[in-house]
Amino acid sequence: MAQTPSRTRENRQFRFPQGYGDNKIVLLARDPWWVFTYWEIRKANEEEAVRKIEASGDSIAKSVLRVYDVTDVSFNGKNARSYFDIELRGLATNWYINVGSPDRAWIVDIGIVTKKGSFYPLARSNMVKTPRFGMSDQLDAEWMVPEDEYWKMFGLSGGFGVGKGSLEVREMIKKRLEEQISSGGISSAASFYRKPGERKFWLVVNCELIVYGATEPDAKLTVQGKKIDLRKDGTFTLRFALPDGKQVIPVEATSKDGIDSRRITPIVSRKTE
Amino acid sequence: MLKGYLAIVLHAHLPYVRHPEFDDFLEEDWLFEAITETYIPIIKVLAGLERDKVEYKLTISLSPTLMSMLMDPHLQYKYLKHLDKLIELSAKEIDRTKWEEAFNKLAHMYHTLFWEARHIFVDEYKMNLVNAFKHFQETGHLEVITCCATHGYLPLMEVERKASVRAQVRVGADLYQKVFGKRPAGIWLPECGFNPGDDEVIKKEGIRYFLVDTHGILFGTPRPRFGVFSAYLTKNGVGVYGRDTESSKAVWSAVEGYPGDHNYREFYRDIGFDLDYDYIRPYINADGVRINTGIKYYKITGAGGHKEPYVPETARARAADQAGNFMFNREKQAEHLLGQMGDRLPVIVAPYDAELFGHWWFEGPQWIDFLMRKIRYDQKTIALTTPGEYLKIYKKYQVLTPAASSWGWKGYSEVWLEGSNDWVYRHLHKMVERMVEAANNNRNAKGLLCRTLNQMARELLLAQSSDWAFIMKTGSHVPYAVERFREHAEHFTELYEQVKQGSLDEEYVKWLEDKYSIFHDIDYSVYSTQ
Repeated sequence: MAQTPSRTRENRQFRFPQGYGDNKIVLLARDPWWVFTYWEIRKANEEEAVRKIEASGDSIAKSVLRVYDVTDVSFNGKNARSYFDIELRGLATNWYINVGSPDRAWIVDIGIVTKKGSFYPLARSNMVKTPRFGMSDQLDAEWMVPEDEYWKMFGLSGGFGVGKGSLEVREMIKKRLEEQISSGGISSAASFYRKPGERKFWLVVNCELIVYGATEPDAKLTVQGKKIDLRKDGTFTLRFALPDGKQVIPVEATSKDGIDSRRITPIVSRKTE
Repeated sequence: MLKGYLAIVLHAHLPYVRHPEFDDFLEEDWLFEAITETYIPIIKVLAGLERDKVEYKLTISLSPTLMSMLMDPHLQYKYLKHLDKLIELSAKEIDRTKWEEAFNKLAHMYHTLFWEARHIFVDEYKMNLVNAFKHFQETGHLEVITCCATHGYLPLMEVERKASVRAQVRVGADLYQKVFGKRPAGIWLPECGFNPGDDEVIKKEGIRYFLVDTHGILFGTPRPRFGVFSAYLTKNGVGVYGRDTESSKAVWSAVEGYPGDHNYREFYRDIGFDLDYDYIRPYINADGVRINTGIKYYKITGAGGHKEPYVPETARARAADQAGNFMFNREKQAEHLLGQMGDRLPVIVAPYDAELFGHWWFEGPQWIDFLMRKIRYDQKTIALTTPGEYLKIYKKYQVLTPAASSWGWKGYSEVWLEGSNDWVYRHLHKMVERMVEAANNNRNAKGLLCRTLNQMARELLLAQSSDWAFIMKTGSHVPYAVERFREHAEHFTELYEQVKQGSLDEEYVKWLEDKYSIFHDIDYSVYSTQ
């Protein structure tokens, strides 16, 4: 970045808060196999849970994320199809969870598991659905065709050719998606597919030639036959990329009235070894 | 005999970058480069087709942030200054390269291109290139569609989803309507990011179709009858199209893609980096960092460091060949599909980032030009169409719910949700929550309160640009992306506190309204959920 945008309120150097004082957990679907969650738990809520646990003669074993598969159920905390726990360590405030199953609905609780095995939830997330990965089994009576016709269209759409089976095509789609035949993003910030080659040690040498001089400010000047504009004080500067070989550079000045003229011809040669 | 349709869709977008507080601001160059290298060359192609009375069909989505920048007087003025410096530099290059014929020809080419760009920008469109797209839409050949207000990535708008998505869609569609005088036929979902249910919002905003990546349709429910080769309708009655893989690969693929042809111009050899520092100094960034100028003298040549001078005539011939090849392959594709499509002809939908054409792939606009002409005159198997027009051909389309998907790497949300950028969602979600709360608590606000709430909505939208998360992931310009996100969050939070405490600050609101100067007609009540 070149510059940092100036702000009129410099005195209020804004920083993102560590927390917003909320007690909540939010769940996002990243892809068919992974979900992401972040959370913020109020200290008071945590302390209250601890008090309850201790009052019941139990003690804390660990903090966990409890991941519920709630596909096609209206979740009430007890009716998940299945669940698993992820033990939280350190000061994590977010987590990527490998749920491993496309097209399922998920809810996550953050909470405390006790030594006796009870679970005290501190917050419950929203529900997300992992994207479906694979052709739907649901058929549309109005648009029905034989099974292999569906697969044919599927293969043609994906550029895989025809006659591939379900598993094979899924693998091919996964592979295609990883090839990133997709958005390049912001025009110059993005890395396009053709990255400059990895370079090791290198050296580049080029030559340029500066031809400069001066004459009467109102004189006419040509260099290699081409008319050159003089600066107000009669000076001039020309810059040339200098290739290998010989350059003959006649510089000719003629006075305004056309009576006087001078010609100087530098000869320059470059040879690169 | 006509056997199928082809719809080329270009998605033009840049994040909103505008810094009047600086004469020269590095990230504003994204817009300037794209104008010179992509938007004006495309406009030139369309003008040529119109002049030659070629019947063509093309679809372009103009993101609302890009449209706003193209219409902004300050950026227009800055672009002209930028272009004038390029004209000056290319004139110097004509002199400097006098003894090297191959480069001298190219210096002349660039000088001419920049003068032409100036003529188109200043004389033909009075500094406002949106007028060009409006004109071509009115000729009936170009279908201009919209995009979400600030290119917010919808699938991750999990908190207050409906209000969040509605604001992104409505603010974009409203700007479109203001400029083009009607509701947009279609919308490009940022990064093709689709979440089932968002189509309901799209429908309510009066938009007739959107596009998803291939697997969005293939994994849709129920099973798609036509692969990606027909439009479908969602349950809400919005049209949806899937991207065709073959035609995408032809252009995008690192292995097979057209832009990798060795005769094409090499993007990575720019005189901004190649020439003597003192000489190039006045034409690079004000702080002395070397940047691309757009003047590039070499062709790709081959792998490795050795590069040969670019030869425009050869490259142009390749672009023509490749356009012919692309057309031929689409004809074969259509023929192959014949007999599979029941009552209808297939449509092949080929969407690309517009900035690929011209900016990255210098010959891309020529390729489009050849393609449009060849399809019109050199064959009868396929015809060009737009997604909006194909939707009108048949009485019935299969009803389907597309699968959640995007066209980003790996096909879902990983690009915008990973270690480098996942921290933003905690704050974005909080902002949306607060925006909805403020909109619900302050209905029918007037005067300064209304302005403050509207500005909150603008700051929120600007913070939601998918570009910031994208840049954080890709690694260049990261401090700028972080600063922009931070800045909008700061202003949003400040305004929110002011509204909550009833201590409004007109001077502050005014300063913010001027600072980014976008979405002047925004109505914060779009966030109201009551």
